[in-house]
Amino acid sequence: MINVQNVSKTYQLNKQQKKELQTTASSINAVNGISFECQPGRVYSLLGPNGAGKTTTLRMIATILKPTSGKIDVCDLDVEQQPAEVRSKIGFLTGSTNLYDRLSPGEIVDYFAKLHGMDKSKSEERKDMLFTRMGIHEFSKKRIGQMSTGMKQKVSIARSMIHDPDVVIFDEPTSGLDVITANNIIELIRQCKNEGKTVIFSSHIMSEVDLLCDDLAIIAKGDLVYKDSMDNFRSEFSDISLTEAFIRVVENASNQQNA
Amino acid sequence: MKTILTVFKKELLDTLRDRRTLLTAIVMPALLMPVLMYGLSQLTASIMEKEENKKLKVALMDAPADFRSKLDTAKFEIIPGIDKEMGRDQILADSLDALIGFHSKYNERINDLKSGKVEMWFKSTNIMVKGRLTDIIDDYEKGILDSRIVDLELTKDAIDPINLIRYDIAPKNEQIGQMVGGFLPYIFIIFCFMGCMYPALDLITGEKERGTIETLLTVPASKFNILLGKVLTIALVGLSAALMTILGLVAAVKFLPDLPEDILEAMTNIVGIEFILLLFAMLIPMAIFFAGIISAMVVKAKSFKEAQSIVTPMSFLIIIPAVIALLPGIELDWTTVFIPILNVALATKEIVAGTIQPIHYIVVLVSLIILALVSVGLSYKQFSKEGMVL
Repeated sequence: MINVQNVSKTYQLNKQQKKELQTTASSINAVNGISFECQPGRVYSLLGPNGAGKTTTLRMIATILKPTSGKIDVCDLDVEQQPAEVRSKIGFLTGSTNLYDRLSPGEIVDYFAKLHGMDKSKSEERKDMLFTRMGIHEFSKKRIGQMSTGMKQKVSIARSMIHDPDVVIFDEPTSGLDVITANNIIELIRQCKNEGKTVIFSSHIMSEVDLLCDDLAIIAKGDLVYKDSMDNFRSEFSDISLTEAFIRVVENASNQQNA
Repeated sequence: MKTILTVFKKELLDTLRDRRTLLTAIVMPALLMPVLMYGLSQLTASIMEKEENKKLKVALMDAPADFRSKLDTAKFEIIPGIDKEMGRDQILADSLDALIGFHSKYNERINDLKSGKVEMWFKSTNIMVKGRLTDIIDDYEKGILDSRIVDLELTKDAIDPINLIRYDIAPKNEQIGQMVGGFLPYIFIIFCFMGCMYPALDLITGEKERGTIETLLTVPASKFNILLGKVLTIALVGLSAALMTILGLVAAVKFLPDLPEDILEAMTNIVGIEFILLLFAMLIPMAIFFAGIISAMVVKAKSFKEAQSIVTPMSFLIIIPAVIALLPGIELDWTTVFIPILNVALATKEIVAGTIQPIHYIVVLVSLIILALVSVGLSYKQFSKEGMVL
């Protein structure tokens, strides 16, 4: 379970960043007091246009970034007070994540199993199960640098899931992937849900959201502008497509923010 | 500790599979000393032999017959009819090697037991020309001197009243320390730094450029342990590069044929077990210092290119103290002992010479350990900033 309560993230800007963003402000708010809750066995989708604050939110949940204010609990563990314990409960995967080109899938997965403190027999068993499920055995000795994008993505999944996390965080997991590779990810999200894991993923592809999602939140310019179950979202905007609904929510929020 | 070891083993495996790092940290340092010692000595010998046997084109003005007869026609071609102006132009144009001019009153002055003026024009950039002709003129002068001694009924002692005998009692090691003791640390300090540079770029900036850092930061290990595993790998590669330089030197001394005997003896004296142990003890903290400081500098870089532009100017800061140690008169004292890099270079020089004072060595070692700890602390400070690593 993930519980996000009134969380904000502010970045201090240096001279270079002020110049790039064409602003005189000394800081920017990437996320403004957002709150939501993700339940085990359900898929929570975080939607929003580019730069809305989705990645920042997921990174705070994953303990990579510290919230400026507010509180995040993962499996009843505070991300600021118990970051190591939180990390042992989460798996993190992004579409842009790469691997170590000079290592083989086996070496990479073993490395992450050791960093998660798994004992040898347990990690071997889990690795064998994941490799069999995803068909990695046939290229497990090959180096990553010699692999296709699809093969690499399978290894990325195995690496993220080796420690059997209770919570899985996907940050735009299908971004830049071909249809077949993207489908592997969608299958993985389904499996995680069926295994009772808490799943949160960010996306701006509405067809994926429609396929997978149980609950959703929409973020625009750092503000949480919509939050409900997927069923309620569908019925609220039954007269238009999901993409149009998403655009409408974001535009309405933008108008209110500007007003 | 387990995390540090896990990261260290993985990074070492990854680094050992990187050809660029292997080339810079292992192959180049190992080959440098044998190539320098053997290649340069062979090249120099071959050039000298060629220049020694080259037939020089020499023009003579008003030269006496007995001088002309000294120039062996197999080694010298006498070019006739050339005056001073023409001679200068032809030497500058490389169509003539030298012009030797005897003064108009040369014979008269020699006969009057005075000194006769002889002028020689040449280009110092044409090696051996000056030396070969000076030898002939010296030999010719010796002949005149011998005949004067006979004519004046003098003995050789009468014109050479002081018989100076020089005894250089500096131990061989001290002489070697003076000659090569400064050059040696210059080479291994540079290679140690370069050896640290490439893995640091790969293991720190590379994680960001490849997009692997995010996943690494979501494992339940402390950032400090992850960083320390990386810094130790970087330091080990830098240390290997420095040691490869020394091993290359040992191999060159042991296996290369045709090395001059005095060089062989000198080098055998240098690369003893005591020297290697004392050097190794300094190299460990120095490599950690380099690894820590480079890591701290490249943490904020987002690409290899940016990281290289940050680190490259630092290599000059490393070279400068190493070069200063090459200067004569610069010694390890209570000032230089505290200057990083310079102290290592000077201590090495004194270890080679066998003149190192134990207290100086201990201070150098302690200051290096402190620097290593500070640099690791600094790199951790940078690595813990969330804006730096993402």
